[in-house]
Amino acid sequence: MSRPTTIAHVTRIHDHCEDTRSLFLALEKPLKFAPGHFISIAIPLGDETRTRPYSIASSLDGGRAIEICFNRVPNGRGVQWLFDRSVGDALEFTGPFGTFMMERAPEVEIGLIAEGTGVAAIRPMIRRALESGSQARMHLDYAADRNEHILYREELEEWTRRASNFTFETLIAPQEVLYDRLSAIAARRWIDADADRTRQFWICGVGAGVSRIRDLLRGAGYERRAVHYEQW
Amino acid sequence: MAKLRIQYENGDPERVIEFDPKKAPFHHDGKPGSILDIMLGHKVHLEHACGGNCACTTCHVIVKQGFNKLGETSEQEEDLLDRAPGLTPTSRLGCQAVITDPDAEIIVTVPRYTINQASESAEE
Repeated sequence: MSRPTTIAHVTRIHDHCEDTRSLFLALEKPLKFAPGHFISIAIPLGDETRTRPYSIASSLDGGRAIEICFNRVPNGRGVQWLFDRSVGDALEFTGPFGTFMMERAPEVEIGLIAEGTGVAAIRPMIRRALESGSQARMHLDYAADRNEHILYREELEEWTRRASNFTFETLIAPQEVLYDRLSAIAARRWIDADADRTRQFWICGVGAGVSRIRDLLRGAGYERRAVHYEQW
Repeated sequence: MAKLRIQYENGDPERVIEFDPKKAPFHHDGKPGSILDIMLGHKVHLEHACGGNCACTTCHVIVKQGFNKLGETSEQEEDLLDRAPGLTPTSRLGCQAVITDPDAEIIVTVPRYTINQASESAEE
């Protein structure tokens, strides 16, 4: 049984910096998705088509348009194909998919941890929580290897001004120590600071560092199902 | 040669793949030598919406024979399997279940439903 596909057209391109881009896509039919979901884009490469996942970086907003955000990776032929798209080009995807999502904000303090473009999945979660009037305290620790890789900074700052329950801090660190430092921050903020273990977490990033933070939090007494993560 | 026999809950014809695990990777998605890698490398389709990155459950398979011949399950795979429809004690994610034994004879069933998101399940 093949899954239904959705056709989308590129309506706008935004370069966050020289190696990180957002595509804004208009959809031929409305898409229902939850904050955190991803879509699987069919990417033609030579004589085959590969499936590559991209988090939906935008909110539902009627479901007729979405944003995806991605960066260049070494030997990343799939992402290069996306960089080669122009306004008006069509692409085809299936989904949304994923178990990493926040359909509604929990009534407990929320810890959000993102690295680089991993914030794409976290961003609609924050927006959904704020728009729903959630009073849960929500803090984002957002790490990147360079200042320009902190995406959506102005929006995040605007949210901190508008909502007293949302705060965020950034960490700039070389990639090889980035997760060490992010783990240290998580330990200080969410483990050593108090004995509260009722919080819930959403963590999104690249590589085994995500699992290390997961293990850190679970090992400190947080419920397994309170620590949500997506490791790309 | 190892053997991977694939059965389909929806009644599609069975497929049998004979392969040398030492020749992994066979494709470019999923762990090298995984059920997904073997199937794709032998032109047998298995869904993998996340690209074989252990981020969804669309490559869920039920292992009917040879469960103990597969590589160990990671916590990440267990976390995802918890949310797979039709979970069984011998469920694995095809992208993570690696076959290294050259004499292994593995039989898997591809479930009828591998959906893992709410909106699609509502439509089906």
